[in-house]
Amino acid sequence: MDFIVSASTDVGIKKTTNQDSYGAKILHTAQGKMLFAVLCDGMGGLSMGEVASATLVHAFLKWAEDSLEGLLEEPLTDDVIRAEWEALIRENNDKIKRYGKEKGVNLGTTLTAILITQDRYYIIHVGDSRAYEIRHSLRRLTEDQSLVAREIRRGNLTEEEAERDPRRSVLLQCVGVLDTVEPLMYFGKPYTNTVYMICSDGFRHQVSELELMDYLAPPKMLDEDSMQKNMNRLIQMNKERQETDNISVLTIKTYEPQVL
Amino acid sequence: MLQIGSLVDGKYKILSKIGSGGMSVVYMAINEKANKTWAVKELRREGVVNYEAVRNGLIAETEILKKLHHPHLPSIVDVIEDQDSLLIVMDYVEGVSLNVNLEEYGAQPQELVIEWGKQLCDVLAYLHSRKPPIIYRDMKPGNVMLRPDGNLTLIDFGTAREFKVRNIADTTCLGTIGYAAPEQFGGQGQTDARTDIYGLGATLYHLVTGLNPSEPPYEIRPIRELDPTLSGGLEKIILKCVQKNPDDRYQSAEELMYALENYEKVDDRYRSMLKVRLASFFAVLALAIVFSFLAVGNQMLASGNQGKEYVDLIADAKTTADYETSLKTFEAAINIPDQNGQSEAYLGLIQAYKANDHLFTVDEARQLERLISENRDALLKNPKEYVDICFETGKLFWYYYAYGGIENNQVTRAKSAIEWFQEVMRYAPPDYENLAMAEVYSNVGIFYRDIQTAVTEADDKGRYKPLFDNIVQMTESIAKNENESEIVRLELLELGRSALQQYATKLKVDGVTEDEMRALLSDIRSILEDIQTTTETSTNRKEESLRHIGQTQKAIDTAFSSGKDQ
Repeated sequence: MDFIVSASTDVGIKKTTNQDSYGAKILHTAQGKMLFAVLCDGMGGLSMGEVASATLVHAFLKWAEDSLEGLLEEPLTDDVIRAEWEALIRENNDKIKRYGKEKGVNLGTTLTAILITQDRYYIIHVGDSRAYEIRHSLRRLTEDQSLVAREIRRGNLTEEEAERDPRRSVLLQCVGVLDTVEPLMYFGKPYTNTVYMICSDGFRHQVSELELMDYLAPPKMLDEDSMQKNMNRLIQMNKERQETDNISVLTIKTYEPQVL
Repeated sequence: MLQIGSLVDGKYKILSKIGSGGMSVVYMAINEKANKTWAVKELRREGVVNYEAVRNGLIAETEILKKLHHPHLPSIVDVIEDQDSLLIVMDYVEGVSLNVNLEEYGAQPQELVIEWGKQLCDVLAYLHSRKPPIIYRDMKPGNVMLRPDGNLTLIDFGTAREFKVRNIADTTCLGTIGYAAPEQFGGQGQTDARTDIYGLGATLYHLVTGLNPSEPPYEIRPIRELDPTLSGGLEKIILKCVQKNPDDRYQSAEELMYALENYEKVDDRYRSMLKVRLASFFAVLALAIVFSFLAVGNQMLASGNQGKEYVDLIADAKTTADYETSLKTFEAAINIPDQNGQSEAYLGLIQAYKANDHLFTVDEARQLERLISENRDALLKNPKEYVDICFETGKLFWYYYAYGGIENNQVTRAKSAIEWFQEVMRYAPPDYENLAMAEVYSNVGIFYRDIQTAVTEADDKGRYKPLFDNIVQMTESIAKNENESEIVRLELLELGRSALQQYATKLKVDGVTEDEMRALLSDIRSILEDIQTTTETSTNRKEESLRHIGQTQKAIDTAFSSGKDQ
């Protein structure tokens, strides 16, 4: 299984800074090709949110480059990944919190990171960015750690009400604010000819899942160019529909390389 | 940065740096002419990215505060600006924020939280009655200072100045926005007085449970689920404050104040307490009936029996293992007709309070005060016995009163004791052995009661020297007395030590010499070192006092070194 990866971001129609950060890496390892991608939606006054999101993205990318290889001498397990990533979050949570305290500001960030190996995907997730799997249909892989999501689970709000609720951007978990972060983890088997997408909440409020399917279904994601174009079209739609947030999306297409 | 020791605006001498926020530094300063301490907040242009915006914000905050005058609000006296910096001179609020208290001690005692709640209602009612109303919007323990006299001061008007809905359209983590009421998220109507009711409810919840509702799991649960000993009345009050819909909350701070004043009335425990009272009433009634039968036979014999009953009950009270029964038995003894003027049962009760847990709780205080005031006329027939009870009661308050947590309520204890020592001074025969000591206690208590107001009104000069003399006398006659209880000795030594640390500069201005201060401190230290403690609490207190000797030393150094600079 091989990967194509592409990403796009837009500051949006209202904000002056883009506080989203993301990064991805295709890794050639002893256990075959792997794909690592991470996306963070930062928050905090002025350009502080960017500091938080970039800090975390860099930390995770550095982990993928420097530490992952060492773990591959033995078969990778869910527990190993969990321990590694939770430690990374703890360390950076403290670091961002300390920075915020020094500067007298509140800053924080969401986190959604995915590692896809030849036979398993691993996701760690904090906040309300999302990961999706798109094949014949679209499947959400992550659960929002947000106030409205909790209200939906408790039956106090419907999905539609939640989208209009003024508290829709209020998170229950994020990195850099609380003393302890409680990330969610997801594991599963990755499919070939499938699109894995992670995005900030700005990318998904104004477009429907049907529209996401329409543009991001695997047959329409042939190469980096077409992927980029499709994502940009959706970003454009979001802006036309008056989304005010920063908008970021990263897609990974899995495929079987043709053997000559 | 302001130089320590420098003079600002020809008036304010900078004494020390006391804190720094994101963009500003706060110093303690003294106006030597008026002998009053101030806090000076400095915002410097350099190092602040958007200086103008921050400056305008601070000025706006200052403008609000300048117009306000309330015992629970800091006042601002001066704004001094040049091209490099902005200085704001305001009340120096002594004490710690309730946040720090929570971090150090966790959940706070319920009675205290209710008292704080009432004070905060008072200040909110004041703010809301301004024209136009000022909505504070950021009520939380971190914004409330607990002063050494037990009163609160509400600080930080950064949010109040905005007069608008907070912008929470952007992604935000709940942990960063405090106890924001639902309407503060925008789109759900204006914020008004009821927004502050929500914030106060959340604050009371945090204080009484130790759980921060703005941290996971972000919930305000019925408080008795967390601690079944808490009051059902308070539980109802808090839940009503934090209703999602503002219409379902208390509609004004006054309304909430009324509820807090009467929280026991909606309390289940209150009802069971009434039952207990009723039961003891019947017990006394039964005794009375027995005695009245006897009285029919022989008046003399009846009286003798009452005396015997009194002695027996006291003996029972002293020997019973069950504390509650012991208190009730002492009370029954006091309630025997014609015996209520004798001091023995009262003194026994006082001894029992101390022996139980070395604390004089709020409920115990209520019982004792009720018994004494109900029987005051009878007691006054024998002034010597009455003043004995008063003197012991005064000491009980002074050393053991638990209101607000024994470690931090020194001032509250001293204040509560005053009236008892004054009662001694009023009724004691001239040769009463404890008369002089009662006067010393009373003077020191009065000092602590009045000093905060005196400082605020710059009227404190001349009060420190008498305090010093009283402390010296207490140290000589009580702390040095090896027959006194260790708690009493440690307490007095700490009182002396903390006064030296806190008031070194003021004592100097009042004419206490460096040598006198050092002599007292060295006495305190050597007595402390000599005291052999027998309990863990005492050991901790002793070590705590010894640990602060160095800082006290330094405070004296500073007081006198700054004098040499001039």
